[in-house]
Amino acid sequence: MRRTFGILCNNRYLRIGAPAWLALILGLVMMTQGPTAAAQETPSRTVYIAGSGNAALDQHVLDLFQTAFGPDTELQTISDEQATLIDRAPIITIGPKAFSHIRQTNRDASVLAFLVQKSFIQKYTEEYPGQISAVFYDVPLLRQALAGKAILPHASRIAILASPESVGVYEPLLDQLPAFDLQARVFVVDSMDRLIPTLVRALSYGDFLLASHDESIYNPRTIKHILLTAYRRNRIVIGPSQAYVKAGSLASGYAPFQEMADVAAQLIGQFFETGRLPPPTYPQDYRISLNRQVARSLNIPLPDANEITRFINDALAQHGRDEDE
Amino acid sequence: MFSKINYKKTFTTVTNVRPARSHLNAVTPFLPRSVCVLAATLFTLAPNAWSQELPSTALSPDAGFYGFDDNVPEVLTTTRLRQPKVRVPGSTTVIDGDMIRDLGVMSLAEIFRLVPGMVVTAVGSDQPVVTYHGTVHYEQRRMQVLVDGRTAYRTTLADMDWQSLPVALEMIERVEVARGPNSAAYGINAFLGTINFITRDPADTAGVELRTVRGSRQYMRTFASVGDASSDYDWRVAYEKRQSDGFDYAVKYNNETGQVEQNSYHNGHDMNLVNYDSRLNLNSGFNAEFRAGVVDGINEEDQLEDGELNAQENPDIDVRDLRFQTKLNFTPSSDHFYHLQVSYESFKRHQRWRILQPSSVLTCLDNGTPLVANPGTCFDPSTAPFTALVNADIEDSRLEFELQDTRIFNPDLKLVSGIGYREDTYTSETYFSGTGHDYQSRVFANLEYTPIHWLTLNAGGNWERTTTTHDDYFSPRLAANFVLNSHHALRFVYSEAVRTPDSYEQSPDYGYTLRDIAPSQFSVYDGIRADTTDLLEDPATSTLGQKLDAERIVSREISYFGQFPLDDGMFQLEVRAFDDNMRDMISGFISFDTWNIDNNVAIDQQGFEVEAQLQFPGTTLRTTYGYLDQDGWYTGPSDVSQKVQDKAVSLMRRLSARHSGSVAAIQELPYNLKFSSAMYWANNINDTLSQRIDFRLAKTFYMPRVTGQLAMTVQHYVNDEPVLRTDNNIKDPNQFYVEAGLRF
Repeated sequence: MRRTFGILCNNRYLRIGAPAWLALILGLVMMTQGPTAAAQETPSRTVYIAGSGNAALDQHVLDLFQTAFGPDTELQTISDEQATLIDRAPIITIGPKAFSHIRQTNRDASVLAFLVQKSFIQKYTEEYPGQISAVFYDVPLLRQALAGKAILPHASRIAILASPESVGVYEPLLDQLPAFDLQARVFVVDSMDRLIPTLVRALSYGDFLLASHDESIYNPRTIKHILLTAYRRNRIVIGPSQAYVKAGSLASGYAPFQEMADVAAQLIGQFFETGRLPPPTYPQDYRISLNRQVARSLNIPLPDANEITRFINDALAQHGRDEDE
Repeated sequence: MFSKINYKKTFTTVTNVRPARSHLNAVTPFLPRSVCVLAATLFTLAPNAWSQELPSTALSPDAGFYGFDDNVPEVLTTTRLRQPKVRVPGSTTVIDGDMIRDLGVMSLAEIFRLVPGMVVTAVGSDQPVVTYHGTVHYEQRRMQVLVDGRTAYRTTLADMDWQSLPVALEMIERVEVARGPNSAAYGINAFLGTINFITRDPADTAGVELRTVRGSRQYMRTFASVGDASSDYDWRVAYEKRQSDGFDYAVKYNNETGQVEQNSYHNGHDMNLVNYDSRLNLNSGFNAEFRAGVVDGINEEDQLEDGELNAQENPDIDVRDLRFQTKLNFTPSSDHFYHLQVSYESFKRHQRWRILQPSSVLTCLDNGTPLVANPGTCFDPSTAPFTALVNADIEDSRLEFELQDTRIFNPDLKLVSGIGYREDTYTSETYFSGTGHDYQSRVFANLEYTPIHWLTLNAGGNWERTTTTHDDYFSPRLAANFVLNSHHALRFVYSEAVRTPDSYEQSPDYGYTLRDIAPSQFSVYDGIRADTTDLLEDPATSTLGQKLDAERIVSREISYFGQFPLDDGMFQLEVRAFDDNMRDMISGFISFDTWNIDNNVAIDQQGFEVEAQLQFPGTTLRTTYGYLDQDGWYTGPSDVSQKVQDKAVSLMRRLSARHSGSVAAIQELPYNLKFSSAMYWANNINDTLSQRIDFRLAKTFYMPRVTGQLAMTVQHYVNDEPVLRTDNNIKDPNQFYVEAGLRF
């Protein structure tokens, strides 16, 4: 009977025959020396990248990273098992799954999570400051709320749907809004069969619905229902992302990938200077994505995206920025 | 081994795209298909919706997208095509259900006080009447009324029964009122305007809602609904009870004292309505709506007001309506959708009362002696009296088919077209002496074309053939909307419309059959019929039996719609100026002892209307105003007296208010309180003035799983004088209502 060896790769146990096993050992030896050797040449720094598994997305992000990091930094992609061998060099993970895999395989690595939401990464960054940091992908809720205010100047009430697990996320927002002459109320969706009844109650309260990255509520299965119910009630939906705007949400803020890549480069740069990753951060600059067709259908005069961005920045400058930013 | 990134790598070779997890039913209306596919694919591409700047070649080519079908609330009624207001070919008032509820509106008819140019009042035994630019009194003959696209107008009697209309105030999503002739879209009867009640989608009412309202004059309304929504089946069952005592008193002239006295007035109603609304989503491109409803109740009629032939009891109407509606919606693509709608409605009105007459009436009826022409002989009070049971029962039904197809060739070229067929059946021993049928067939279309961004053209028309006149008609509409900055539009609209006489106007066989005659000595006459020809007061001028032609209107409209975003609010303005020429209008009396209706009046009318709304945070202000200058003249046979001619003209003007309008304000207050007030007025309604101010204060309780509301409404009647009729009297100028509601 032929014995096989294997490694855990992306949660799959890969069987490896003896010749391959030997080749793997050889390869690992070469790899463990690789970074050192590479450090002696230009580029002088190496950053490892754990991809999301989506080749198009990963390639696109890597292109942006290269622009942001410049020629002095070498970017190398790694698999999960390769991550176990990395000691001090930083790893950038693209997306939450990549982060989880890297955390499982190497708990000592310094990891900068990219394309993750604050709610996902917060417990890690708080528990392992300096070792784990992130560039948040989601847009601060206050910015999203102000985008709604810019579009509907007469709006004063915001309805928010939350799952029992996420209801606490909105507490800071509820405290911040009064400074902007806004108020919000969170309507908790206890279970999926209570989604529409709760939504109907929420829409009777709010001038618009502020959608968040709570996947238990906003997901491809529910979004059509939510959008149509809101629009039939003549209520607009703001957020949570650019993709939802294309699906029918009226507007959402988003941070351009290049901006996020630039922030990632700054954080990694500080890592190389101090040996520690700075605290996680939101990007500083945001843009607004608008669905003008929906606006026309709802008879809503839509300002220019730049005007909305200016309104948000002015409001934040006047009343204080989101404490998360 | 670590792989160094190849920065030159192109995306075209990428194959490792995650397969779609599920189809996204995006709702963006009329977006280019590529964009929609992109949207759908981006959702499926990554659970966190990384959507920016990704190469389109990375997208799954079979990602699902099923376009917008019939849901986003653009203006629907005017052309049947969903259009933003800047592209609608005509002024259209849209009233949100929330505004109706926030203002404390207590009945369906009252909603239309918020529409410029509309007059709401009551005739008979508190029968609500809604009219746009007058021309009606009792029967509301010249407006199409729809509920979710289904005709609610009673075609055989050309009338609307607002008391039994199966729409609960809680279920109104919005009401669209297309002001101006709309036959191009809806055929005959859409002569002066079209009302379309759009009820809440069953997908939006999952859960339970309860509400009860009690108030002055024994007003009581109770509503309860329960429903659920899921990916494949949405449904709702709703119950509503409507009750009111109507006006407080009528007046009666006392022959003995020579004084006008207050008289009790039997004019309330008690209706029970059950509605079932559902949608079965069979697949992403096809769903089936099914609606059914029943109305059962009593509409009180006062014997002095409505009892014919010396009624001895109140001729209350026993109401029993049934309706079924099926609509199959097909959405083969985002730019092509169509529906087939089949609806059936039956209206049963049983109205029976006993009469008291001298037995000489029976003798005259038996030997064919005209009653009115021989009063001494036929109404001889010295003969023994008899009582008999008579009825004004009528059962009519409508079976309607409609196929409507919408094609979006591109965002600037859209076509809606369709065909329709309707069969009206009526059965009444009294009005038709049996059963009759009318049939209508029609073809309609509207093309919206935007050749350049600042100009939208609409061309529509409706061809129709009806057996009521055995003739066919074409009603066109042409409109040009000059659009500035997407927020302002100047419209020029030309439209023509027709109204054909209803079955009762055209083919009556009116007569009361006397049954259950007492005392028994007269039972030999049981079943004898008193025809209207026996009782006509002026047979020489009667037009009974004459065939009527269609009424015609040519209307020209110049209107402006604009939106003005403010720093802290929004201002919206719509102004309509109109010039209408109506010809061959059917006027005259249509009653048991007088029948002289004819195509005998022409009317020219001009005026303008304003509708404005200003919204600030927590504040909504809305105002409407209508000015109507109506000039009518007699065009019928000249061999009738000047008095008859003048009467024919004046009948058309009884509900034509020269000035009418409303001012409304809704203000949110701390502690989840909301205050609203509305003032409505209309003058020159039959030389009377209607003025009312409403106040409402509501407190909403937002609890974790329940939303509750308590509210109080006061209606203050500014003048003491009754509106329209001397019998429309309310004792207390302040009417109070309290309400409580729950939603969970």
